[in-house]
Amino acid sequence: MIETRDVSVAIAGKRIVSGVDFDARPGEVAAIVGPNGSGKTTFLKALSGELAYTGRVALNGRDLSALKPVEIAVQRAVLPQATTLSFPFTVREVVKLGLVGGRSGVLPGEDARLPERALARVDLDGFAGRFYQELSGGEQQRVQLARVLCQVWAPLLDGRPRYLFLDEPVSSLDIKHQLIIMNIARDFARRGGGVVAILHDLNLTAMYADRIFVMHRGRLAATGSPREVLSDDLIEKVFDCRLKVGVLPAGNVPFVLPQSATSVC
Amino acid sequence: MVDQSIAGPAKAMTSASEGDRSARARIVILLLCLGLVIAALLSLTSGASDASALNVIRDGLFGAMPGDAALSARDSLIVYDIRLPRVILGMLVGAALAVSGAVMQGLFRNPLADPGLVGVSAGSSLGAVAVIVLGGTMLAPLTAPLGTLALPLAAFCGGLATTLVLYQVATRQGRTSVATMLLAGIALAALAMALTGILIFMADDRQLRDLTFWQLGSLGGATWAKIASVGPVIMLALVAMPFLARGLNALALGEATAGHLGIPVQRLKYTAIIGVSAAVGASVAVSGGIGFVGIVVPHLLRLAIGPDNRYLLPASALLGASLLLVADAVARTIVAPAELPIGIVTAISGAPFFLWILLRKRGVVDL
Repeated sequence: MIETRDVSVAIAGKRIVSGVDFDARPGEVAAIVGPNGSGKTTFLKALSGELAYTGRVALNGRDLSALKPVEIAVQRAVLPQATTLSFPFTVREVVKLGLVGGRSGVLPGEDARLPERALARVDLDGFAGRFYQELSGGEQQRVQLARVLCQVWAPLLDGRPRYLFLDEPVSSLDIKHQLIIMNIARDFARRGGGVVAILHDLNLTAMYADRIFVMHRGRLAATGSPREVLSDDLIEKVFDCRLKVGVLPAGNVPFVLPQSATSVC
Repeated sequence: MVDQSIAGPAKAMTSASEGDRSARARIVILLLCLGLVIAALLSLTSGASDASALNVIRDGLFGAMPGDAALSARDSLIVYDIRLPRVILGMLVGAALAVSGAVMQGLFRNPLADPGLVGVSAGSSLGAVAVIVLGGTMLAPLTAPLGTLALPLAAFCGGLATTLVLYQVATRQGRTSVATMLLAGIALAALAMALTGILIFMADDRQLRDLTFWQLGSLGGATWAKIASVGPVIMLALVAMPFLARGLNALALGEATAGHLGIPVQRLKYTAIIGVSAAVGASVAVSGGIGFVGIVVPHLLRLAIGPDNRYLLPASALLGASLLLVADAVARTIVAPAELPIGIVTAISGAPFFLWILLRKRGVVDL
């Protein structure tokens, strides 16, 4: 369980996040949505120990500020929006960096093959020998996810849940890989871990999130299940845009929803 | 037509280690060990005198062979008291400079960082020159109790101060701007050189001559005493820096991500800065300004074995040591019986190499 109480973050004297009470439970995908600049990423950075905050953050019952980097790294892995590399690492070498902490949670001896397994999970079989810098943005994002998965491969370690923090994990992906990545997240939660994901696609959010946290101007505007949260009023208030939930486009305008996927991508 | 039953498993075997360059890195490191031994032997046997190190070593190991002219005392002196300290010092300095380059590049997340290019060596020089010029007068109360350690210690402090300032200026929120780093390095080097200039202005004729040759870089003054004073510092830094390898690898993903992976980033950065300053300071103190080793060696090795610091750091130490021995052999023999400062040899070969890297990697500088 991750719990925050009255968490605020200020950067260079400017308040970005104000008084957020948030919780992520094991077994659940918690989605954070909200317009650009609403403080989603800043809040996630506070949660991952990267930014200083006021208030309280508890990770599996222990105060985050009292934990060492290595103790935090055992309990959660973080996927940033984009990662640039300063040296020509191969894809396999990048994914293997996820094992630096050494607590993937697989059986001893299985770590050696874990990069290949993680790459297969994100549909990058056979990419191990390629250079990271030569890949497309979407492929790089999936390599980073494979690295993140290696860090917390087992969703439970020593009986305690572990967490995936994903900052816009599907923003640069095609529809098939959006579904693959979101399935990985849901599967991680089903097996006992917890997922905190910042998402922009409200349809994907409705499809995968167990609970939605809506951020607006640094504050939490609403919390609840997709059915409770996604309403016309809330969307208009938060996104400043008049939209109707559950209305099909008129006549012969084509539309494609992720919910219509029938094959397990 | 390819027989699938044969092609299948063979393909599977290659893909099992695809993207994993650790096996190749181990072989390269083994070859570099061999190369260093050869370079050291060549270095011991070559020089202005015709004393043959092979004879000296053979006599040392087995005693003089019957029927063989016993080794002259002169040859023995040349090999043991002149060439051997020089070879050992060359290996220490070469390893220190190359590893420092690799560590700085990891720290700044940039393949162009080098102690010589960004002013760290200039800072070390300032510290060392201060001790040489003022050690007998103004700084005597400080240097006298330190004895032979005063020089390397002053060079260390100069290098440390420069690196800390450079890091503060060039890095903001975990991101190092390459342009800022190189420009700040130029400014810091200019400042250090100006201050060094004032000291040189104050120096007497004898100090002046020493300083000139020392600044150009030379292993010429190698003695067992010098090795005793800087050897432990360099060895300590060389032994400590491989422990940074995993952290530096993670740092390639950025400071934030390295932190997410559980690396204590602040501690890593300060350990790296202190290690680099110690190694560069000690090297500058005994051999002056030997440039470009720190940029050429890690770059060549990254092409061969990739950027994994667990292999890059030991390989850099070995190749740096070998290259400096070769450069020293060239410096000693090319204008024999006179001797070219080794800094000129490394600059003449290293500077064009640096330009070549720039041409290939203009994108890296345009950040």
